Amino acid sequence: MPTSAKWWIDGDESAAEMLARVSAERSVSLLPPPLHRLPLRVGNVVELVGPSPSAKTLILIQAAINTILPSEWNGVHYGGLERSVMFIDLDCRFDILCLSEMLKHRIMNLNGSMNKMNQDQEDIGMQNFDTRRKSNIAYDEELYTLCMRRFLYVRCYDSFEFLSTLKTMHCHLQKEKEVKHSSIHLLMIDSIGAFYWVDRATSFLPSGSTNRKSLSLQSVFETVVQEIRKLVQVHPMLVIATKTTTFGDRNFANEAHRKYLPDTLDFRNAATNTRQLPYQENMPSVWQSFVTHRVHVRPSDHVTIVDRQNHSLYLSEWLLPSLSYLDKFIVQDGGVFLHN
Amino acid sequence: MAPLKSLEPEFSAIDSHFQMFCVSLGIFTVEDFLLYDLHKLTGFAEQKPNSERLKQGITQLLSVVDGLHKPWMNGMDLLEDAKQNKHILSTGCEGIDMLLGGGLREGQLTEIVGPSSSGKTQVCLQAASSVAKKHMGSVVYIDTCNSFSPQRVASFVGLVSNLPFDQGAKHKILQNVMSNILCHSVFDIFAMFGVLHQLEFKLRSQKGDNQVQLLIVDSISSLITPILGGSGLHGHALMLSVGYLLKKLAHEHNIAIL
Repeated sequence: MPTSAKWWIDGDESAAEMLARVSAERSVSLLPPPLHRLPLRVGNVVELVGPSPSAKTLILIQAAINTILPSEWNGVHYGGLERSVMFIDLDCRFDILCLSEMLKHRIMNLNGSMNKMNQDQEDIGMQNFDTRRKSNIAYDEELYTLCMRRFLYVRCYDSFEFLSTLKTMHCHLQKEKEVKHSSIHLLMIDSIGAFYWVDRATSFLPSGSTNRKSLSLQSVFETVVQEIRKLVQVHPMLVIATKTTTFGDRNFANEAHRKYLPDTLDFRNAATNTRQLPYQENMPSVWQSFVTHRVHVRPSDHVTIVDRQNHSLYLSEWLLPSLSYLDKFIVQDGGVFLHN
Repeated sequence: MAPLKSLEPEFSAIDSHFQMFCVSLGIFTVEDFLLYDLHKLTGFAEQKPNSERLKQGITQLLSVVDGLHKPWMNGMDLLEDAKQNKHILSTGCEGIDMLLGGGLREGQLTEIVGPSSSGKTQVCLQAASSVAKKHMGSVVYIDTCNSFSPQRVASFVGLVSNLPFDQGAKHKILQNVMSNILCHSVFDIFAMFGVLHQLEFKLRSQKGDNQVQLLIVDSISSLITPILGGSGLHGHALMLSVGYLLKKLAHEHNIAIL
């Protein structure tokens, strides 16, 4: 008895050991801008909200490229995480050529800068440079194919397909792990609010006995949240979801808030007293409480000139946790870049 | 909404015992199964005497569910598909082709927006004639405002043709081109759904030559504006459903939609 009591009091591991273990297994990573303000761990759920043309999918693609690139390849430092990403496309507007162009650009940029550095340092003759450049282009193809294979994609045309994808994802991920020995790090859902209106319209089905759940907006989202929670426990990963807000909702929100007092859940009000409310939240509360971080992205009215080309400027703002400054970024061929 | 009973002939593990077990938990159809927590279900199954059989049933049901969604693809597969199947169709007008980066791409929905009398119908007619002539594919033209004019299409074809002035050959080409353009008149959104579902069914059942390459809808706003508005719950839903149906047609059957 004394030995077991002592063992029980001593505990399994000290706090230092636990911290070391957790930081090794579930490490913190910094996403590329504009999501770089806060370190994100696996198990976090980030929501990117914004009106329709505001580069949200591009931000997702940029985060994906960061994850699928290796950290080192043939002496060139790419700074990636070398893990797989999963993209669930509910919006069905994904363009694979966009991803492939950005990836190629990124690889060539990093390769090119490395080449230049080497050449400056070593002072090689022209012939050597040519052969090395040719071999580098061949490496690009291999690296490119390897990275593209780490990008998994599935497209869903309605809620049933989305739910069935989530339910069977566990088996697919197990298979991927066995085949490729690289586990998945990032789950991206493009436009989580895609089926909101359709599900809302079909939610007036009569429910028979109390036992049976009818397929309504509420039940779909409850199941989605449940399934994602279970998946994240077994395959630790970061979840990023985008959501489109519509302009009409904003006017409605302004009117509603003039009539009613802001309730306690409205932390946006406290932070943005002087500005208008950004948008109206229309997702069910089960999803809202599942989200741990929220970023609001929108196009601004300014146009800046970078490299002699006009680019429109986008603003991004962290709503949850509420940070009080705006980031500005522009979209170029190589991706999304911060601007001042 | 497939009831579980209909799966019985194909999957032997989903027999009457399994169905009774499911009914006791309130699961009547595949959709109910989707909403139910899998761990709870297996937990309940283990408590029953014939748990092995029930678990087999659950696995089979899961495999059915797996068949419900589209297959997973990785980046290279998508790229292959894009290169092989999704060609670019020229609209027949160089300026627009330049703006679109080559032309209309199969698998994508291109929207032409503008005030009235800004030439949208002319662009549609020209695109129809150019695709029917150059790419030898058939074109489906869904007309909501009575603006389809065969004479105009014929004149576009006549303009582009650069054969010698043989009346007979020209006439034949004209006939070929015109027979490749199918025009449907729809005046409300439900008829639109009907036409699209018919088209989907036809495309799925026959995969021969003369594949539909271009689908033109002129103009979608006249179908949607009457149903949107007010607290339009169903309006939004219908609009989105039409959008999804069009996107699905475009992607699966490699059609460009204008």
